[in-house]
Amino acid sequence: MKKFVNDPKNYVAEMLEGVALANPDSLRYVPAYNLIMRADAPNENKVSIVQGSGSGHEPAHVMAVGKGMLDAACPGDVFAAPPMDYVYETAKLLSSPKGVLLLVNNYTGDRMAFDMGKEMAEADGVRAEILTINDDVAVQDSTYTVGRRGVAGNFFVIKAVGAASEQGAELDEVIRIGKKVNDVTRTMGVALTACTPPAKGSPLFELGGDEIEFGVGIHGEPGRERRKLKEADAIVDDMLDAVVTDLPYSSGDRVALMINGLGGTPISELYILYRRAHQRLADRGITVGRSYVNEYCTSLDMAGASLTLVRLDDEIEGLLNAPAEAAVRVF
Amino acid sequence: MSMQKTEFVVRTIAETCIENEKYFGDLDSVVGDGDFGYSLARGFEKLLEGWDDLDRTDPGTFLKRSGMTIASRIGGTSGPIWGTAFLRAGAAAGSATTLDGEQVVAMLRAAVEGIKARGQSDVGDKTLLDALVPLTDALESNLTNGTDEALRAAAVATREAADATAAMVAKRGRAAYTGERSRGSVDAGAMAVAVLVERISETWQKQGEPT
Repeated sequence: MKKFVNDPKNYVAEMLEGVALANPDSLRYVPAYNLIMRADAPNENKVSIVQGSGSGHEPAHVMAVGKGMLDAACPGDVFAAPPMDYVYETAKLLSSPKGVLLLVNNYTGDRMAFDMGKEMAEADGVRAEILTINDDVAVQDSTYTVGRRGVAGNFFVIKAVGAASEQGAELDEVIRIGKKVNDVTRTMGVALTACTPPAKGSPLFELGGDEIEFGVGIHGEPGRERRKLKEADAIVDDMLDAVVTDLPYSSGDRVALMINGLGGTPISELYILYRRAHQRLADRGITVGRSYVNEYCTSLDMAGASLTLVRLDDEIEGLLNAPAEAAVRVF
Repeated sequence: MSMQKTEFVVRTIAETCIENEKYFGDLDSVVGDGDFGYSLARGFEKLLEGWDDLDRTDPGTFLKRSGMTIASRIGGTSGPIWGTAFLRAGAAAGSATTLDGEQVVAMLRAAVEGIKARGQSDVGDKTLLDALVPLTDALESNLTNGTDEALRAAAVATREAADATAAMVAKRGRAAYTGERSRGSVDAGAMAVAVLVERISETWQKQGEPT
């Protein structure tokens, strides 16, 4: 697998250095904690919004730092949760009298690092709360796992809490909004190929030339099942069925529809998927109020896509529509 | 337990984990993802790198500073779990400069509660708790026999308890995804605890210094 890489150990640091150099006026980079933060953060009149997660999902989350979005992101290594001290130090640096909201995609490692980092920061007088994101319908909750994963739908939670905090909402209100958006957001992903982590240098798993992984996670974890490759429309129909029946979304609903590329699929193919999803939703009496077709949360170079729906109401739509400006401009 | 003994225990844990990197990793690869030995070894190497700079005001502070490094530098979920254990034990020690057996037992109980909370797990879930709780119980009930004997009894009880995890089905951690397939192999975390207390017991006696 050919990649643009120097020493794989420096993959994340070099990427973050690039992000900082490309946005000298708006972002600040703290190398010790993989921290990219708004240059004007923290703002004492605003709840600080922080996301950790692993690297390898760009533009999530370091390139979603900016006005109306995240105040900071402190990712771990590729596909690894940030160490606890990244969370702790970031929470301290972003401390605001209005509080710090820590957004956590639902994985065991992320939850533990954030729980612990929050406890330590609170002991130092930082006001912090955690909001867990778990929009993936591919994993059913069970006694033995931490439950559904947080995947591309986290964009909508970030956008909504980012807008609310920018408008001066208090921490409790920002959390209410974040939970509300998470509760009406569902995602299903499909992989056409595995991804190749730079340190490993070879694909994470084998997928036959005529196979797809249905319900794949954003770290290449297996999903619901391996299926035969079908025409694009048939794959979208399966993804849409899984998402629509889960909440469920029903006739008369107004939704945001996101087709998110996983890193190795051309934008043109994403629009082919979008077209079918939009039409099929209309057939079900579901209106697409806002559309998102791009790469928002990737798995390195994985070919594939995810489909996300958000049930809209006036409040959520207003927050999604609010102005925002981030290093990666995907609005 | 003096500051010197606290240092000895933490250093023994670190060195034993580094020496047993492959063994712990092999235990974990049966049903887990095989990174347990690697994660512990790399994290404890970091602890030893910064060893001389750790705050030695009192045993509790030393344990808390060690816990911060462990929580941050051991990868995966082991860092927060093991780090929490050290932090809670350190907090339970307060600012005491020497610790008696009952205080050490209280510190271990605090570590157990911390692990339960952090991992949302309990005894019987096939985790390190299934070794750490029997260790603490054995230590407590043998305190009147002196430190050497209490440690020896704890080592025996912990080894038995770790072996017994083979009959359990994993309910937490990466091994939980394999469900019934996890039966038949010991829990790597529990076995690590057994190896550690055996090493502490052996070397403590060799040192021959009373608490």
